[in-house]
Amino acid sequence: MRAELEDIMSQVTIDTLEKLAFMFAFSDESGEDPPRDSTVAGSVSFTGPFSGTLIVMISIEVLQELAANMLGLDDGEEATQDHQFDALKETMNVICGNLLPAIAGDEVVFDINVPMVLPADQEMKKGAGIPDAHELSAKVNLDLDEGQCVLFLFLDGKISKGILLP
Amino acid sequence: MAINILIVDDSGVMRSMIIKTLRMTGVPLGDIHQAGNGREGLDVLGEQWIDLAIVDINMPVMNGEEMIDRMQQDPEMKGIPVIVVSTEGSKARIERLEHKGAVFIHKPFTAEVVRDTINSILGLGENDES
Repeated sequence: MRAELEDIMSQVTIDTLEKLAFMFAFSDESGEDPPRDSTVAGSVSFTGPFSGTLIVMISIEVLQELAANMLGLDDGEEATQDHQFDALKETMNVICGNLLPAIAGDEVVFDINVPMVLPADQEMKKGAGIPDAHELSAKVNLDLDEGQCVLFLFLDGKISKGILLP
Repeated sequence: MAINILIVDDSGVMRSMIIKTLRMTGVPLGDIHQAGNGREGLDVLGEQWIDLAIVDINMPVMNGEEMIDRMQQDPEMKGIPVIVVSTEGSKARIERLEHKGAVFIHKPFTAEVVRDTINSILGLGENDES
């Protein structure tokens, strides 16, 4: 089940980064995370047939490129920090919005909450307000030219076999 | 005919992306107005001549669906075509918006999809694009 979730999460994220920001990501099989202080992280929670939180941790250089591409900035121009955070939140929103129907289909309804950027000096799960009982159900490491992108999916309990699309 | 467009999205980056995409479509653009939520969107509709509204759903203060409901209740606004640009994945919710007259575009979108949707909803032919 975990491997299936990670495959879906990886594909949705790769597809989103390409279509949203013309950025090409590849699966990083090493599973090694970048140092937290070289990244920015955000989270988006959701409720529905299953509930949970998606955390996205992204290298600062990737985020700068992401924001610049989404804004259509010229070479040498740099997005402000507000724009970078906005770009991260919008990207998480799109990933989560596409991930949930990819897992459970389009017949079910999910409510996705407003994404937020997590404080850099706090443990991510705590900063995102994720209850201790929520388990890490999937983790994906992606490599990009500029750095890394790591996704963590915490779920409230396990997804029943019946909800996962074949 | 130049098209005056209102873009309603709480993300400034997404509004910029939509504007950038609109400029790639070849659709004859007039004034482009922006709003950060449904309430601000209704204010703009009350003050400006708008030919097309492009609206997100999940927004603070007033979401896109409530904005569309308010537009339908206002004789001055109910005829304005609405395109919903959202990550919404629920078939039931998308159908509910379509029953309210909105056309749905899923994020992430391409310039081709945006162009074809605008041409379809506004009845623009190829002769109108240049």
